[in-house]
Amino acid sequence: MRYARQVAMQEIGKDGQEKLAKAQVLVVGAGGLGLPVLTYLACAGVGCLTIVEDDIVEESNLNRQFLYTPADIGKPKGALARERLAALNPAIKVSWIGERLTQANAAPLVSGRDAVVDCVDNIATRLLANDACLRANVPLVEAGIDGFYGYVFPVLRGGACLRCLGYAEIASPKSPGAIGCTAGVIGSLEASVCIRLLLGMPVAPDMLTYDGTRMEFENVRIFRNEGCRHGEG
Amino acid sequence: MVEVRLFATLRDGREKAYSLPREVCGTVGDIIAHLEIPPGDVTIMLVNGRHQKPETAVSDGDLVALFPPVGGG
Repeated sequence: MRYARQVAMQEIGKDGQEKLAKAQVLVVGAGGLGLPVLTYLACAGVGCLTIVEDDIVEESNLNRQFLYTPADIGKPKGALARERLAALNPAIKVSWIGERLTQANAAPLVSGRDAVVDCVDNIATRLLANDACLRANVPLVEAGIDGFYGYVFPVLRGGACLRCLGYAEIASPKSPGAIGCTAGVIGSLEASVCIRLLLGMPVAPDMLTYDGTRMEFENVRIFRNEGCRHGEG
Repeated sequence: MVEVRLFATLRDGREKAYSLPREVCGTVGDIIAHLEIPPGDVTIMLVNGRHQKPETAVSDGDLVALFPPVGGG
């Protein structure tokens, strides 16, 4: 049986596997973070994955975006990811929205999902996902990488959100350095947090930071800023 | 003393943690200047887990965590 090893886990079992099979997850971005997220969610049997991605494969993606090959350069990432994930696990449904997340489509795309995983490289899209998820009461898994550093942060209704961290006041960094192994670590952690959320397991509301130069993880407790009203509407 | 933690690329060329006397760091901005971090390099500045501004005053026993601009995806 495909899932025997994870069904054997006390935290999952048959009931948990059924939860995963029924789960609907939106993954925003199919790049460095998105591919490990999508791969591990697909392998784990998350039943419905929707990819939001409007980009095409470029040669400079190939150091970390492991589902794409040199023959894919110029082709849409979302279509390729859908095809390869479906081959990895034909039992799940993978769909692709060939658009960016926008003010207009964020709410309908987030609605009805069990979780959203943010795998993008800019602040504006992170804030769109943050706001849409809080309004819809859908948990969001947020992350970012820069060289050998990275972080993962769950945005849950009632807790701290990206606006509490001042994201609305900062500009997107200019193409930070990126190496596949860091994207793999952080994307795998995003998938792990997402799977725990889908299983109804507790998730620490902390930012988990990764320092690959020292090989250290550190949890940073973050509190909701007084006055933040996102997610109450 | 004020406990300061640096994260991600702010650690490059620096320690990851400092204990600074309150006298040299009355505000978050003073800490950033004391550690010779270019002000634009810090975007998230937590004092005891809550994001604040450079002019926010700090007290003995506070934990200040500083982060650079959020990374790529």
